[in-house]
Amino acid sequence: MRKALLALLYFLAAVVALAFLALPIVAIFVHVPPGRLIDQLSNPVVTDALIVSFKTTLIAQAFILLFGTPTAYVLASRRFPGRSLCVTLVELPLVLPPAVAGIGLLAAFGRFGLLGSSLSAAGITIPFTQTAVTIAVAFVASPLYIRQAIAAFETIDPNLVAASRTLGAGPARTFFRVILPLSRGGLAAGEALAFARGLGEFGATIMFAGSLQKVTQTLPLAIYAEFEVNFDVTLAISALLILISAALLISLKLASQWQPSTPTSHSRFGLLSWS
Amino acid sequence: MELASQHRIARRRATVLAALCASLCSLLAATGAAARTGEHSSTRVTGITVYAAASLTDVFPKIDSGPKYSFGASSTLAAQITQGAPADVFASANTTIPAQLFAKQLVQRPVVFTRNRLVFVVPTSNPAGIHSVYDLKKAGVKLVIAAPAVPVGSYTLQVLKQMGLTSVLANVVSRESDVRSVLSKVALGEADAGFVYSTDARTVPGKVRVFKIPAWAQPKVTYALAVVSASGNKAAAQRFIREVLSKAGQKKMLAAGFLALPKAKSKR
Repeated sequence: MRKALLALLYFLAAVVALAFLALPIVAIFVHVPPGRLIDQLSNPVVTDALIVSFKTTLIAQAFILLFGTPTAYVLASRRFPGRSLCVTLVELPLVLPPAVAGIGLLAAFGRFGLLGSSLSAAGITIPFTQTAVTIAVAFVASPLYIRQAIAAFETIDPNLVAASRTLGAGPARTFFRVILPLSRGGLAAGEALAFARGLGEFGATIMFAGSLQKVTQTLPLAIYAEFEVNFDVTLAISALLILISAALLISLKLASQWQPSTPTSHSRFGLLSWS
Repeated sequence: MELASQHRIARRRATVLAALCASLCSLLAATGAAARTGEHSSTRVTGITVYAAASLTDVFPKIDSGPKYSFGASSTLAAQITQGAPADVFASANTTIPAQLFAKQLVQRPVVFTRNRLVFVVPTSNPAGIHSVYDLKKAGVKLVIAAPAVPVGSYTLQVLKQMGLTSVLANVVSRESDVRSVLSKVALGEADAGFVYSTDARTVPGKVRVFKIPAWAQPKVTYALAVVSASGNKAAAQRFIREVLSKAGQKKMLAAGFLALPKAKSKR
């Protein structure tokens, strides 16, 4: 009797949670007939925002992957004094309110900023440019990737790495042929999160880069600008973002399943690999 | 020996805890007292929420510190009210937006309560060397204005059109969501110039230089406010509006740099 009651409670809690998460998303699509969504795709505000969003997010993700992967590997595989400080530093932007991140970026790269003042003396200004959007996106999204990457690298069985080395593979070959494929699932998961976070970035962008159509107005900024002008366009852009995010999530899940990577250490909960 | 040191640690912990509690209590008492002295006005309308234009951020709480305020771009606030936000009074930096809401029966008949002036500001360091509004045409000037839906943004476009300076719009690097964001970008030195109200420029003395706009190009900047139809406390909302329109309220607005209403116009 008690077991059945408990099961019922679990079930109800799950229903409430899932309904809560699904309701806003379903509500948007109820308000936007598919015909209007297709229509809005030809609205220049929407297309310009799409282009700016994708350009900046893709470039930011490239940098995140390029710099974040080695960083995560170093933090995962080596123990050195100050390591926990580095890990905290990497995770800090995650808990920083985006507006604070924006202020920080201004303080660093603004015209009178720490680095910015020397840059502007050299003729390079960053605020209000698309580069500023890319920097803001990279700043808020990188912790998500690096954290997942660290966790992914930590689950690799060191015996496999050692075996690869004893079989004659150098460190680089080991990294690309053994470590990366083994951690592929976790890295993909981290990248999905970072991409989604980057696509949705608002606070830091509006503070640091401003908002100008075709230049710095990303999809979330376009939503904010259109909210007081045309609520229909706002709904359409929101629906578009949902579809893009969902497509992203699904395709990354599929991609990580092409070559299933089973965790080589015994962690029961497959948060890191999606196979 | 161990027992004695444990006692010491326990006592120290208790003292620290007591000190923390005492300071917390005194802090709460101090803030409570400050709230009760109410140095701003003897009558305070409580229990209402006022949605007001960003340029009223400093002056409205001086007129009445009682209501809960939400300041932002008039267009954003109007959109929120349309979506059902719980406002009792809506104060806009133009008359168009309240009129639109009135037409949709979302607010009661709007009342004009003050006027303002448009100016443009540059950072004190004046990085772009701006000395007149015509200098805004210089290549590479980073101009920041508000989005066209925001009242100050539309006033800016009106001024530029009046002065034949619409080419200046090519120098716009950002369309901000409200007037205070425009001001911040200029005050921080990130933007070379921005169009704000003269009352906003006064809130950051020493950070910006103000340039007047010739009187013939000034748009009619008129503020209007109204009771929100869905308000649950219309009597208090009306009291607040009367306070703003009263002699004392209008004096505070003039002291903040707003312009008096022309004597003939009295839309009550």
